[in-house]
Amino acid sequence: MNAYFILNSALNLIGALVALAVSYYGFRYGKVTGSSFLKTLSLGFMMLGVGLLAQASAFIFFDLDAVRLADRGTFVYSATMIYLALQAVAYLMITVSYARRVQGGSKAAVETAGLAVLALSQPSSLLLLGTHLFELGELVLVVLLAMIVFQGGLIYGESKNRLALMVLGSFSLILVAHVAELSASLLSSGLLYLVGDLVQLAGFGLLLLFVLRSGPDGRN
Amino acid sequence: MAGTEKQRSTIRIYLDILLAAEDEGNAKPTRILQRANLPHDRMMKHVAELQKRGLLEEVTSGGGRFYVVTSKGKGFVKEVQRAEAFLSAFGVSL
Repeated sequence: MNAYFILNSALNLIGALVALAVSYYGFRYGKVTGSSFLKTLSLGFMMLGVGLLAQASAFIFFDLDAVRLADRGTFVYSATMIYLALQAVAYLMITVSYARRVQGGSKAAVETAGLAVLALSQPSSLLLLGTHLFELGELVLVVLLAMIVFQGGLIYGESKNRLALMVLGSFSLILVAHVAELSASLLSSGLLYLVGDLVQLAGFGLLLLFVLRSGPDGRN
Repeated sequence: MAGTEKQRSTIRIYLDILLAAEDEGNAKPTRILQRANLPHDRMMKHVAELQKRGLLEEVTSGGGRFYVVTSKGKGFVKEVQRAEAFLSAFGVSL
């Protein structure tokens, strides 16, 4: 496995661990407060963590590099699609949780988010997309993340809460990362894809800081 | 949704009662009543539940009745306060 794939897998692995840590705290606090918001959020981050873990594992366990990627094209393509679908469902759950809070259960926000994911669930249209499926998946993630960032911005604007700013900052970075990855795919740029991965890591790093600040021994 | 709201407000009341008892050390029922801002019958119902869960303990001293937060109760207060901070980042209150 060459350095590029090792770095890519390592970044995804770190992101997965952070997402699973957020999921754990969401579950733990959801249990003590009985908050359905936290339970949904926890499930969303769990799916995100599992998705990132699946992508990292695909490269690590199958020891893939650029040459083997070509040999196992179908496998890698399927793994990437599963990873994108898991992320889309995860971000949809986070978007719906946020929408319920910010817009008091507004159906419009939930339906808009649902439409973005519906685009991925139409088998006939997916077959027509062929090799552009990855771009479509990334586009869905960008739409969902843009909604999360917008709603996070509303929450921070209202509360001026430092922890809310951390969450807003982390989702903003993850959004920028997916815009970079979408551009990388459209422009066939490996470097831009790596930049996207690094920005995503910064986003998850900020999310980790939020978990540490709000969790045990945290200063908030 | 209504059930969730009810449960959240119950957690908030538990926290207020436990914080009142914790701040006072040995808290008289009247002090908890003032701090938690609850009618007597509702407060006693919640206090009984907290005692049942082992979070609050009733002690009698000098002919008076006091409430003390147990070590399990102190842990519960910390955990709920952490959950409150975590929730606040997403614009949600207890």
